[in-house]
Amino acid sequence: MNLERVVFGFVIILALTFTFAFVMGDIDNASHHNVWLLTIAILINLIATGLKLGDRSQVGALLLASSLVVDVLLITARVIWVIDENQTALGPNPESMANIVSLAGGALLASIVTVVILVGDTLISRR
Amino acid sequence: MATTSELDRVSMVVLRYMRGPVFVLIAVYAIGITGMALIPGRDVDGNVIYMNLFHSFYFFTSTATTTGFGEIPIEFSDEQRLWTILCVYMGVIAWLYAIGSILRLVQNPHFLLALREHRFAGRVRRIQHPFFIICGFGDTGSLLARGLSDHWLRGVIIDTDPERIKALALRDYRVDMPGLCADPTVPKHLLDAGVVMPNCKGVVILTVDDEINDRIAVMARLLNPDIHILCRSTSKRHIEHLRSLGRVTIINPFEIFAQLLSMAITAPRLHNLNSSLVHNPHVRLGKPVDIPTGDWIICGYGRMGKWLYRHFVMNGIKPVIIDPEASEIEGAARIINRHADRESLIEAGLSHAAGVVAGTDNDHVNLSILMCVKSLKPDAFTIVRQNQHEHQIAFDATNANLILQSSLTTARRVLKHLISPQVEKFIDYLREQGEDICEQFVLRLQDMIGDKPPHLWHNVINDDEAAALNAYLHNGNSLTLEQLTRDPHNLETTIACIPLTIRRNGQCLMLPSAGEPIMAGDDILFCGSQQGEVMLSASMNNVYTLDYLISGRDKARGYLFRWLEKRHQPVSSQT
Repeated sequence: MNLERVVFGFVIILALTFTFAFVMGDIDNASHHNVWLLTIAILINLIATGLKLGDRSQVGALLLASSLVVDVLLITARVIWVIDENQTALGPNPESMANIVSLAGGALLASIVTVVILVGDTLISRR
Repeated sequence: MATTSELDRVSMVVLRYMRGPVFVLIAVYAIGITGMALIPGRDVDGNVIYMNLFHSFYFFTSTATTTGFGEIPIEFSDEQRLWTILCVYMGVIAWLYAIGSILRLVQNPHFLLALREHRFAGRVRRIQHPFFIICGFGDTGSLLARGLSDHWLRGVIIDTDPERIKALALRDYRVDMPGLCADPTVPKHLLDAGVVMPNCKGVVILTVDDEINDRIAVMARLLNPDIHILCRSTSKRHIEHLRSLGRVTIINPFEIFAQLLSMAITAPRLHNLNSSLVHNPHVRLGKPVDIPTGDWIICGYGRMGKWLYRHFVMNGIKPVIIDPEASEIEGAARIINRHADRESLIEAGLSHAAGVVAGTDNDHVNLSILMCVKSLKPDAFTIVRQNQHEHQIAFDATNANLILQSSLTTARRVLKHLISPQVEKFIDYLREQGEDICEQFVLRLQDMIGDKPPHLWHNVINDDEAAALNAYLHNGNSLTLEQLTRDPHNLETTIACIPLTIRRNGQCLMLPSAGEPIMAGDDILFCGSQQGEVMLSASMNNVYTLDYLISGRDKARGYLFRWLEKRHQPVSSQT
């Protein structure tokens, strides 16, 4: 067992589940999506990206790339939320809510890719 | 480059050929458009108007190409219609002339040839990997190409026979093998085949004509003074001439053939190992043939018979020779000047012979000799020479003890050279060491790969083939062969590979011990399984795998964990 693998696996899967938790619900209904979940998902993902910095293997490079994609998408979603926050009493109006959630959905896809790569690498790994 | 090749010739031919038609087209267009713009038309109110140049160009284009959209922009006057008639005939004729010229050019066989050469040269230029030029794509050439493809090596093929080159296109090689139907003695074709390219690693010359082989070798040497040439040659005169060219490996099929036979007699285990290294399907590793010494009969005393005879005598066997044309031969037990048939075989003493060589250059004669021997003396050891590759099935059915096929043995020898010249050196080394060392090695190899055919490959410790290992060695660290060949799944065992030789600074180290340190720049020849090659390559190229092999621990990968590891380093190093 390797402590680095445990930590990285934990962080990356946690990021995936938080993103999923945020995406769940009607796409244009602001009350179905908690902005706190989105913010935590961003934070965890940034940590995952940081953990992968400095890995010189091919798989490491791929993991870094996919977690960067997640960062970009989630941060964009969060920025839209900040801009449109005061459109209604609940938060952004349905149009911008749909934008935010579909961006987070894209991030979810990239997160799944990351986890698949991680699991695959561990399975074919030598030990 | 001063020497012109096909690449620029084709475009020149097209341009020159199209010069006339293009001039005619330009002239016709110019006349038609100018006329159209100068001839007055009338608008709906009857005022005189002129077409502008753009409209006349548009109108003429549609008319000349027989498309014709009608009288636009306004209905034409009679003068304009008159001119239009002229335009239509001029334009259509000019276009027919131009298209006809193109068609004639495309049908010209010389142009087609130039085009093929152009494409071939282009394909060769695009090869990024090391490749070999193969001149002559007969039995030997095609067997060699198959062998190269099995080892993921690239070949560029030139042959004078168009049928063979057409057949080449249908082969399912693993790698791209461009082929050209051309005379390889012409320097231009050798240039097109990339003889001066830096990634061309050798020229293999395998046509059946010694004279032509010699000429190709000279051309190749003149074009590229450093290139390694492997040339098939059987006559003494040519062999001596080829030797003077420098860096030429001479492939004499008859000699190779006789050497193999000699090896089978004196060193059966080595012969067995050698045959399985070159993937002979009739041979199983660890089951050597047992050639009896006693009375032998050689049928056929041609070029090959002479070599066989020489090696028989070297091994202390005096064979009886049956050949209609053989004259006085020194040391022969008896010579029978007849064709090999039932009677002459009995006369040669088949009833008490230990073995028979059917070695004429005619496959049907050889097969009938075999049939004869099988019926008269079924327990005699039979060695048969197979001349044509397409008779394979018939020879397989004879159950001869040893089938020697000239094209196959030659192709295998060349392939061994191309994979690595060290293979042959290793075989020579084992021969000097004797049968016991060879048997030990075979047992070790069998232990490692089981019944699978052994696979040969070599790795140079440099940035391309072993990036991680090379960097590791350049940092002043050292590594032994044992550490490198550890199995990353289980550090107690090793990958299925045995290092055969290490070439370092021009010196060859044979069967290096496990504790031998590896240096940067080493050229190591391995024998093992296909999977072993993949695993070893992963170990040599992945920093983390290599590190795990050496230390037995997973190194931290990210900056954060490396920093943490460094902080804990003093503690862990003390424990």
